[in-house]
Amino acid sequence: MSAVTCELCPRGCVIPEGGAGDCRIRVNLGGKLRATTYGRPSAIHIDPMEKKPLYHFHPGAPVFSIATAGCNLHCLNCQNWQLSQRGGEEMEQVYRADPPDLLKAAKKEGCKAIAYTYSDPIVFYEYVYDSGELAHREGLTNVFITAGYINRKPLRLLCNVLDAANVDLKAFDDGFYRRVTSATLQPVLDALVTMREEGVWIEVTNLLIPTLNDDLAMIRSMARWIRDELGEGTPLHFSRFHPQYRMRNLPPTPGRTLDRARKEAMDAGLQYVYVGNVMGHKGGSTYCPTDGTLLIGRAGFWITENNLTADDRCPTCNEKIPGVWQ
Amino acid sequence: MPHPTVLRYLIPDRTMIPLIKHLRPRDLRFSGLVVVTLLTIGLYLNTGLRLAGQSGSGWRTLDLDALQQRVETGELLDREADWYHPATEEETLGLGERP
Repeated sequence: MSAVTCELCPRGCVIPEGGAGDCRIRVNLGGKLRATTYGRPSAIHIDPMEKKPLYHFHPGAPVFSIATAGCNLHCLNCQNWQLSQRGGEEMEQVYRADPPDLLKAAKKEGCKAIAYTYSDPIVFYEYVYDSGELAHREGLTNVFITAGYINRKPLRLLCNVLDAANVDLKAFDDGFYRRVTSATLQPVLDALVTMREEGVWIEVTNLLIPTLNDDLAMIRSMARWIRDELGEGTPLHFSRFHPQYRMRNLPPTPGRTLDRARKEAMDAGLQYVYVGNVMGHKGGSTYCPTDGTLLIGRAGFWITENNLTADDRCPTCNEKIPGVWQ
Repeated sequence: MPHPTVLRYLIPDRTMIPLIKHLRPRDLRFSGLVVVTLLTIGLYLNTGLRLAGQSGSGWRTLDLDALQQRVETGELLDREADWYHPATEEETLGLGERP
């Protein structure tokens, strides 16, 4: 039996011949591991950068967003489970988009960035790497929307082609990770630190699920960790939960919970804390941490006003606002 | 001296005493069965948690025919992945059959 061991993510799946990894798309055929969805995305959309969400990276830019089937996490509340919890051979829709075709399509649509998103792009690593390299050569940027459950060595190499990442830090509690996502916390924290070391622009998302990860003490610890390890200027997005997939027994996150979480994180020292999935919330806009000037106004994913100066500063106090704006 | 309320819980209630006196061997056997069952459930759950937490434990079966068919038509690719190595003997220990 010529089994192989996958080294990509902390699961370290040992896969016998004819079997797939836990992600469903890395398959052992003839004693060699195959990336079966390479160049074969099942989802292609053009989204605004704010939808990722990335609020401090080329605001308002259209992003060519792709995903293949498969995921190395199995979150009970997954919002893309029709895509993420299936193998490539189970998908009704598969597009043929090898890296050169992908780049051609992105440029044709006027996109200056490619987002690897929806499912977790870690599992289609090779496709991301090759497309990312080509995108850089063509002057496009790469954004990576991930849960960050990846080993350090492959991530460090991948960072060569990544410009920005939104990492979904699902909770600051290993028990939550094990129960709700089937993963563990520490590798995600390690991935965040690795990305920071490698100079990738990072924003963090935390989906608040009522009673499971909305404890203020946990939120405070998470915010302090982000402040100390990633920097006080790291944007943190608190996102509203909606019941779906295997977690329909809990209600949507109350607005008050999101407000309290935002206040707690700002009190802990984070300067840019946002509220997402709530239309028209004040916490969806960017304010100067020094004098409170509205810098970028947003309504949902749309930018209503942009008051940043040409050199990315607050127009009132001249404070430099962290991000990749141009 | 413990509080009288606490004492009430420490000392068997008067109504319990006749029950204890009339314990039959079959009641003891039943209690034993309950204890063994609870221990078995605990052991089963604990083993499951340990296995789930182990690295290298995850792999899945898949519809190989469907995959091959899609690879042949070009809908999926047979591209070699990065980041893997042939499993060592130690790693394949415990690699069981999946239904």
